[in-house]
Amino acid sequence: MSTEALLSVNNLTASVDEKTILHHVDLSVSAGETHVLMGPNGAGKSTMGHVIMGDPVYTVNEGTISFDGADITDLSCDKRSRAGLFLSFQAPVEIPGVPLSSFLRASIAGRPGLEMRGKEFRRRVKELAAQLDMDTAYLNRELGVGFSGGEKKKVEMLQLLLLQPKLAILDETDSGLDVDALSVVSRGMDAYRASCDGSLVIITHNTRILEHLTVDRVHVMVDGRIVREDDASLIPWIDEHGFESFEREAADAAAAR
Amino acid sequence: METLNVKHASAMPAPTWSWLRMNDTTIEIPCDLARDGSVTVEADEALTETHASFERALVELQERLDAVRGDAADERACVRAAQRTEEHLDDLDTPALSAYQRRATLEEVACDVAAAFETGVHVDVRSYLNFLAGSTAVLATEEGEDAAATVRVAGCAGSAAGASVDVVAAPRSTVDLVISLDGDADGRDAAGLIGSELRVFAGADARVNVTVYITADASFTVIDDAGYVLDEGARVNVRHIVLGGGRTYTGLASDLRGDTARMDIDTRYLASGAEQRDFNYVIRHRGKKTISNMDANGVLTGTSKKVLRGTIDLIHGCKGSEGSERETVLLANRGVDNKTVPTILCDEDDVAGNHGATIGHVRPEQLFYLGCRGLSQEAAEALFVTAKLEDAALGAPDEQIRANVVRLGSALVDDFADFEEEIA
Repeated sequence: MSTEALLSVNNLTASVDEKTILHHVDLSVSAGETHVLMGPNGAGKSTMGHVIMGDPVYTVNEGTISFDGADITDLSCDKRSRAGLFLSFQAPVEIPGVPLSSFLRASIAGRPGLEMRGKEFRRRVKELAAQLDMDTAYLNRELGVGFSGGEKKKVEMLQLLLLQPKLAILDETDSGLDVDALSVVSRGMDAYRASCDGSLVIITHNTRILEHLTVDRVHVMVDGRIVREDDASLIPWIDEHGFESFEREAADAAAAR
Repeated sequence: METLNVKHASAMPAPTWSWLRMNDTTIEIPCDLARDGSVTVEADEALTETHASFERALVELQERLDAVRGDAADERACVRAAQRTEEHLDDLDTPALSAYQRRATLEEVACDVAAAFETGVHVDVRSYLNFLAGSTAVLATEEGEDAAATVRVAGCAGSAAGASVDVVAAPRSTVDLVISLDGDADGRDAAGLIGSELRVFAGADARVNVTVYITADASFTVIDDAGYVLDEGARVNVRHIVLGGGRTYTGLASDLRGDTARMDIDTRYLASGAEQRDFNYVIRHRGKKTISNMDANGVLTGTSKKVLRGTIDLIHGCKGSEGSERETVLLANRGVDNKTVPTILCDEDDVAGNHGATIGHVRPEQLFYLGCRGLSQEAAEALFVTAKLEDAALGAPDEQIRANVVRLGSALVDDFADFEEEIA
């Protein structure tokens, strides 16, 4: 493990309702790198993203999470966000009564270097919306309410570009999207990388979204364990063969334990 | 602080269990307030130079109602029961009535518009606000005319100010009325009181739109008391935007007397800190095919309290009428106290009454999502407040009221003034 890692997950075991989901997981992401976390449905990939972000639903039983040189294992999610972590949700929640623009303004408030005064904020958000082919009328609508799946993902991308985190975890951002929306998401990821050279951890079970990205490292998760790590050459192999062999090996290993 | 107490204010027409503490409220009026503050009425001369009066409008309506009313005696058992002076044990065909039923039946049989007129808060509050106002501004339209007026009550710490307004909308005319109840404590802790007393007569096919903005600081008690009478085909839209005020009392009673009259009420409220909101709406459907809608949407934060009483009274004879009431309230803090009492009274067959309420705490997944964007529990709570204020600022009828919202918002939320710059 590199001592210069931006994100370092060490021997992480996490559970929910006394059921262990993640088992002794290690993950190390350096600044500027793009990592992919792949695996079949139910492998624990989304849980991994949520635990790194500090979702209080999960309990960390063992291990540590370090980010940007600090141990964040016990930090609340808002403090992790302000430290530079970002999680894009697979299913972004709806918050009735709160217009998107109010939410965006609140999310940048108090962040050094990001705070913008009224008109400047409006201009910046409109710029980003245009970049993502997003109708600016959405800015005055209640957050997520009545948005299609594609529109919700665009809003997630908009936040990624606005907040410019040091590391973004994109949880199945590609799921349920048509080709056009997928291209917008890819564009968003490119723009993010270009604007701030941030790190990415892309959680997916689909290799399509990765076609236009330079991937540094691929991690395969099965049953809450990282069972394989390799370079980007693993992606076409998975595309060809799927996760079956990893699942078989994991089952054998479980039987041996 | 010595107070003058008005008991049983904003009372529900048909009370529920007393132990629920929702039937009515007590309004405490500080005794040491000076009668001061600014009340201005901005209206076209044509609207204020009038010989029309609310009382005369009711008399004329009464004459028309009496003219079409038949002489046939009402022989319903409930009428017999209400009118008898003593009960006879051998009279098993006449039912026993509760005090409320008896009063309601006698009122229905009397068909006396003036006697049945009511406002939402209390007759004593009506007198007090009229005393504060000194005189009543009468705004009256000619038939078919369109007119607009704005009434501003600007209170200051240590004083009480009130406006008294009568609106008489002639047939087929339109009146847009805005009432601003603003109290700027200017950094002082001293209590203050502001209020408005409004009576509206909407003539046949008239349109009356009333918007009330309450933007008082937390040291103010605010009373918004109103009563409406609607003639045939009249339509009234009311918007109540209650954003500030330590204790606010909003009361509205409406008499849908004419056939096909319609009343729509849209209430938006916010209560933060230890503020208290009290709403009492009473809609009496008397004409045939009358319609009413009450929609309330609010946010409660801190340790604020709110009671909303909404009564739809479908009175005998209002065939084909429909009334509905809905409320959505977000409880942004576990410390809030929220009470909602939707009531539908019905003495008619061919009618519809609907009510529904959505009351929700901020869900854990919503808090986590907001947390993932850097918002702590406190920041999330502030966001809900901000959103309500911004919505009110965007919908403000004029710049002055928008400035009042921004002043209040800046006191409640850091950087709220940024929003003003953004939308400027």
